[in-house]
Amino acid sequence: MGGVSDYHGANFITTNLDKLVNWARKSSLWPATFGLACCAIEMMATTMPRHDLARFGMERFSASPRQADLMIVAGRVSQKMAPVLRQVYDQMSEPKWVISMGACASTGGVFNNYGLVQGVDQIVPVDIYVPGCPPRPEMLIDGIMLLHDRISKGEYTTTRTAVS
Amino acid sequence: MTMATHLLSSAEWAKRAPVWRDEGWVLMDLAGLDRLGLAPDEGERGRFEIVCQLLKRADKSRMTVHVEAEGNPPTVASVTHVWETATFAEREAYDMYGILFEGHDDLTRILMPDDWEGFPLRRDYDVGKIAIDFKPQPFLQTESPGQGTNFGESDVEADALGQMKRDGHGE
Amino acid sequence: MVTVSRTDPRIEDRDLVRQLEADGRGAFVESYDPQDEIMTINMGPVHPATHGVLRLLLELDGETVVDCKPMIGYLHTGMEKECEDQNWRGAVTIVTRMDYLSPFHNEHAYSQAVEQLLGVEVPPRGKYIRMLMCELNRLASHLVQFGTQGLDMGAMSAMFYGFREREVITDFFEMVTGLRMNHGYIVPGGVWEDLPDGWQEQMTNILEVMPNRLNEYQDLLSENPIFVERTRGVGTISAEECDAFGVTGPIARASGIDWDLRRDMPYEAYDELSFEVPVQEQGDVYARYQVRMAEMVQCLGLIEQIVDRMPDGDYKNMDPKLTPPPRSEMNRSMEAVIHHFKLVTQGYVVAEGEAYVAVESPRGELGALVVSSGGTSPHRCHVRDPSFYNLQSLPVMATGGLVADLIACIASLDPIMGGVDR
Repeated sequence: MGGVSDYHGANFITTNLDKLVNWARKSSLWPATFGLACCAIEMMATTMPRHDLARFGMERFSASPRQADLMIVAGRVSQKMAPVLRQVYDQMSEPKWVISMGACASTGGVFNNYGLVQGVDQIVPVDIYVPGCPPRPEMLIDGIMLLHDRISKGEYTTTRTAVS
Repeated sequence: MTMATHLLSSAEWAKRAPVWRDEGWVLMDLAGLDRLGLAPDEGERGRFEIVCQLLKRADKSRMTVHVEAEGNPPTVASVTHVWETATFAEREAYDMYGILFEGHDDLTRILMPDDWEGFPLRRDYDVGKIAIDFKPQPFLQTESPGQGTNFGESDVEADALGQMKRDGHGE
Repeated sequence: MVTVSRTDPRIEDRDLVRQLEADGRGAFVESYDPQDEIMTINMGPVHPATHGVLRLLLELDGETVVDCKPMIGYLHTGMEKECEDQNWRGAVTIVTRMDYLSPFHNEHAYSQAVEQLLGVEVPPRGKYIRMLMCELNRLASHLVQFGTQGLDMGAMSAMFYGFREREVITDFFEMVTGLRMNHGYIVPGGVWEDLPDGWQEQMTNILEVMPNRLNEYQDLLSENPIFVERTRGVGTISAEECDAFGVTGPIARASGIDWDLRRDMPYEAYDELSFEVPVQEQGDVYARYQVRMAEMVQCLGLIEQIVDRMPDGDYKNMDPKLTPPPRSEMNRSMEAVIHHFKLVTQGYVVAEGEAYVAVESPRGELGALVVSSGGTSPHRCHVRDPSFYNLQSLPVMATGGLVADLIACIASLDPIMGGVDR
């Protein structure tokens, strides 16, 4: 789950290999289709010609969790959907990242009631929170670029808190 | 465009629904209603009712029908054999209010998980607000992404709320 | 390897049967019951082709759908309960997120119901602004449906074209309301703010560009032999079945039911505008596609009329019990300050009663049932969502067809799960 240099100790070859691996990982993150509600429409709009997400290599939304790297939780997560969310997250293979898109996924959003999980980080560890209701496509791209930076610096392992 | 309102008992509803259907009325909506907190009208009205909206395209008229749910647990005759529209709607009224529908084939929860306890839309069921809990941020983003050289190490300190510590502004 | 009954009369060569069985290349049973072969497969809630979190329990005989049971509730947000917790103005922000592809229509139905209880009138400019936003919303929603229908059939270009046009419309929404979606703009009394300067130029740009684009879509899909093969005769529903299931909107109009709330039970100022209501008879997926394409053209005509006839005046009913007075007046008048204070802290009070008002949303009849107990927040706010009832007709449409036809049916139904689950 770490970089290449974790295994062999850092030296000239492995740090450069590390950089290569991180570059490859961030340049073609494949998102898993997890559009739930209104944010899903904005996520679809992000892949469309105006705010082209394909320039980041991310136009291929993978329906199969095994082939996906990034789970963009776009929308409100209800009590009935929470186990499904965890199951899809568990089925994704390492390395994997999670972006919580929108206010509802980050904290429960406008809704604070019996029906919604107040923030998807109660269920899965989240790397980037993108606020907004719904966030503009540019905001989502900003969040994705922030994630790219974190991946290229090998930082992603340290930002997550363990989820019991 | 006329809009009539009727208040019926469950037995009357079961009798008149097929008659209305044959006249051309179409069921548009079926919703539950909890009268706890509403001012009482003339006569005795129970706590639970269902509110049905009917539409007759030929006359361009609408009709609202209130049907009392009698007994404990509150029960209403089902109209799924008259209009299949009611199938999902009656399940929702059961899920949200606990109103039972006699004659419905599959009266199970539809919106809440199957093992949920309680009927959420009842007036004495709490909204379920959770107090907002601020968590400290693991990282403060002090520079724009990709531009700082020590991204990830921050020499700015954060207090318990994740706010930047500043000199002279409290602790 | 196909399972066949050993006693099937079509097999005459008994020696061949015995040889295939011995070689292991044929499987023959004493008796063959088709029911044994039915597979129960779960489709969703996470699936690329279900529009949102829809779960379908499919019973398949090979590739043929024998039964299909929609299971919903994966997006249940408790919005109706949440509305009871907000004041009358705040409930608009909750209601708008139900059917999230037509937020203006949700707000419109709710606002009209509250206005009926309040007994207030909306000024003409407010009515026209509301109609303008609703028609633009209808256009945007049909564009998304066109895109997702093409995407589900494999015609990915349709998706790109549809969303490209939608961006132009959401730019206008952002200019007027500040948001691309979930606006909270149509409130009881009128609209929240007036149209900004320069809106006419923006609208003229849209009206110049759109007709050619719509013609492009006709060229793209309407006569495409693959699209026609996949949609003609697929997912048929008759007018009687539509009535039995409470199906309204383009689906009902594609089955021959000539009913449109804007024309037949007009609200706002729709009776002052002239437009046609497209109706088809076949009731299949292709008919629904044609109805929506024709509706998009009618939307453009309506928008043009609204832009030409936009009246001047107030955009909202300025009764101080309903609308906070402008800031300039608050510097001069004590009553203005008191009204502002009460409206912001508590909200206005609506008399006891009940109202149900329905509007024609892109998916059908969207109604709002509002019950007031005389306080500052709704006692009951129920929204009659068209997708909730349209979805019940999916088993009727899909049974007997192939799985691929099921996908086409779902795309043509255009269900929005936010409205279905609320």
